[in-house]
Amino acid sequence: MTTATVTAAPPLPAIDHGHAGLGNQVVSEWTKLRSVRSTWICLAVVVVAGIGLSALVSNIEAGRWTHLGLVDRAQFDPVRFSQTGEFISQFVVGVLGALIVTSEYATGSIRTTLSTTSKRTTVLSAKLIVIGAVIFIVSEVTAFISFFVSQAVLLAHGGKALPAGSTILDQLHSATIPVVGIASDGAVRAVFLCGVYLTLLTLLACALGFVLRHTAGAISAFVGFLLVLPLVVSILPSSFSGSFERYLPSNLGLAMILVTSRKTDFAGVLLTPWVAAGVLAAYAAAAVVLAGVLLVRRDA
Amino acid sequence: MITASRITKTYGTTRAVDDLSFEVRPGVVTGFLGPNGSGKSTTMRMVMGLDRPDSGAVTIDGKRFGDLRWPLREVGALLEAKALHPGRSAANHLLALAQTNSIPKSRVGEVLELVGLEGVAKRKVGKFSLGMSQRLGIASALLGDPGVLLFDEPVNGLDPEGILWVRNLLKSLASEGRTIFVSSHLMSEMAVTATDLVVIGRGQLIADTTVSDFISSNTEVTVLVRSPGAVQLADALRAAGAAVQGTDDGGLLVTGWDAARIGDVAHAAGIAVHELSPQQASLEEVFMDLTSDMVDYHGQTPAEV
Ligand SMILES: Nc1ncnc2c1ncn2[C@@H]1O[C@H](COP(=O)(O)OP(=O)(O)O)[C@@H](O)[C@H]1O
Ligand SMILES: [Mg+2]
Repeated sequence: MTTATVTAAPPLPAIDHGHAGLGNQVVSEWTKLRSVRSTWICLAVVVVAGIGLSALVSNIEAGRWTHLGLVDRAQFDPVRFSQTGEFISQFVVGVLGALIVTSEYATGSIRTTLSTTSKRTTVLSAKLIVIGAVIFIVSEVTAFISFFVSQAVLLAHGGKALPAGSTILDQLHSATIPVVGIASDGAVRAVFLCGVYLTLLTLLACALGFVLRHTAGAISAFVGFLLVLPLVVSILPSSFSGSFERYLPSNLGLAMILVTSRKTDFAGVLLTPWVAAGVLAAYAAAAVVLAGVLLVRRDA
Repeated sequence: MITASRITKTYGTTRAVDDLSFEVRPGVVTGFLGPNGSGKSTTMRMVMGLDRPDSGAVTIDGKRFGDLRWPLREVGALLEAKALHPGRSAANHLLALAQTNSIPKSRVGEVLELVGLEGVAKRKVGKFSLGMSQRLGIASALLGDPGVLLFDEPVNGLDPEGILWVRNLLKSLASEGRTIFVSSHLMSEMAVTATDLVVIGRGQLIADTTVSDFISSNTEVTVLVRSPGAVQLADALRAAGAAVQGTDDGGLLVTGWDAARIGDVAHAAGIAVHELSPQQASLEEVFMDLTSDMVDYHGQTPAEV
């Protein structure tokens, strides 16, 4: 450590134009995100669980094929199996999204962050942009790799690609495990929306972090939203719950990755994929607005 | 320049800051003195735009925090030393801060060197001692080379060498023409560091003055006198108009007179004097007297320090 003599740092050249803005905060948030290990652990789990679990489930389902009845064979959905890892990833991205906010509240460093800008909402925007972009890229890449790996697993079990334009009926009559190409009806959309689903949930969790300010609180709220809310709705009278179920986040997620032509068991219950994505985006937007209002109004 | 005009802040039923007004001028170190819980940290958070006053306003060089264009380049603050992500390195912590205000990366190394942490730049701050965290907090405050600096109890956790270092740093920053506002609950620390003084108790202003005025106007000089003819000397002094009290061990305490005048009276009365020693009430005593009815937590008063 230094001795009692003090040498001042050289002066910093002044800036006489502009102001500290969103671009500055985005760069800073990226530095913060990449410079802690928990980020890389979470992202690794998203990739490994995403690809690994999807491949595993595809493997298990393919192994069961010969024991399946007609209805089950009709519902055998190679696209959906390829995205099973999403179930784990949704919690991991939620934790990461909440943590980039609540870890700052836990240490008090949020006050340092907020004293770097005269407009608090730039901090909220920057965090959403950075975590949203990172999760979007990672989960899209993971979703597409999962898709191809899972189809390869099905092929290895003797699966056959169905000709383009084949329907559920064709799948029913075909005696082999169905494998779909990325160009087949709705496959790209389903895989793409899987990444969108994870991204929107991340943004939602990040906003919940600003609203609740505690890691445990924000993660509980997030998990409650995904897992507990469906339970609550399921114990409501069915005449009542029937109209709500399709708006549950978990069902929105399902709707987003279903290929329309395969929607046999859910037909009529779920929203269409893009509408489901829109509803989930509206949930996230509502949470973000609430976060912004509270961030500006409350003491830091 | 920091200007607080009639700021009040209430948390629930606690009035943390109560109609407080003061000015902190550039060029000198201004001490912000008050017992624990008197509202110093709350006031500093209001300066930094983190807590909103219920009423009143604080400005930095005439601007509210929300109107600063490059906040880190205009005001730097060390508010909580341990407010750091434990898993991030010191250099990355400073880099992220620098990027918020377009401060070049090279500045990070400069401020780390300034506070003596260049050797641990890559180490995770969770492994830092409180003293190292204080130094990192000071580095963060200096990152933007701001004209206004706030330090909330910056010597907490520092060893004597570190305390001396902070003291000198604050003075040299002030001598560069910066506005330096530094809080402490220790009068003795402020006496050797600060030139100006803002004293608060229970959120209210007690004094806004200079350290030397504060000391001279609040300390009464008493002189301890020992003499074989103490009784006669006491009479002679009283006859001359001095206030005299006897001590338990036979000495005399004379208030309001200096030693020379007492010696003269003794000489004129032909009484031998064996001791004539001026007693100055310690600064800590003065401060405690002033704030004694304003201390929230008596167990934490500076008495033990
Ligand atoms: N965020 C807060 N919520 C509730 N009470 C607070 C908060 N911050 C400070 N206080 C209360 O306000 C008073 C002043 O505290 P503080 O400003 O920390 O004093 P100091 O820094 O002088 O020790 C104390 O009674 C404290 O308990
Ligand atoms: Mg304090």
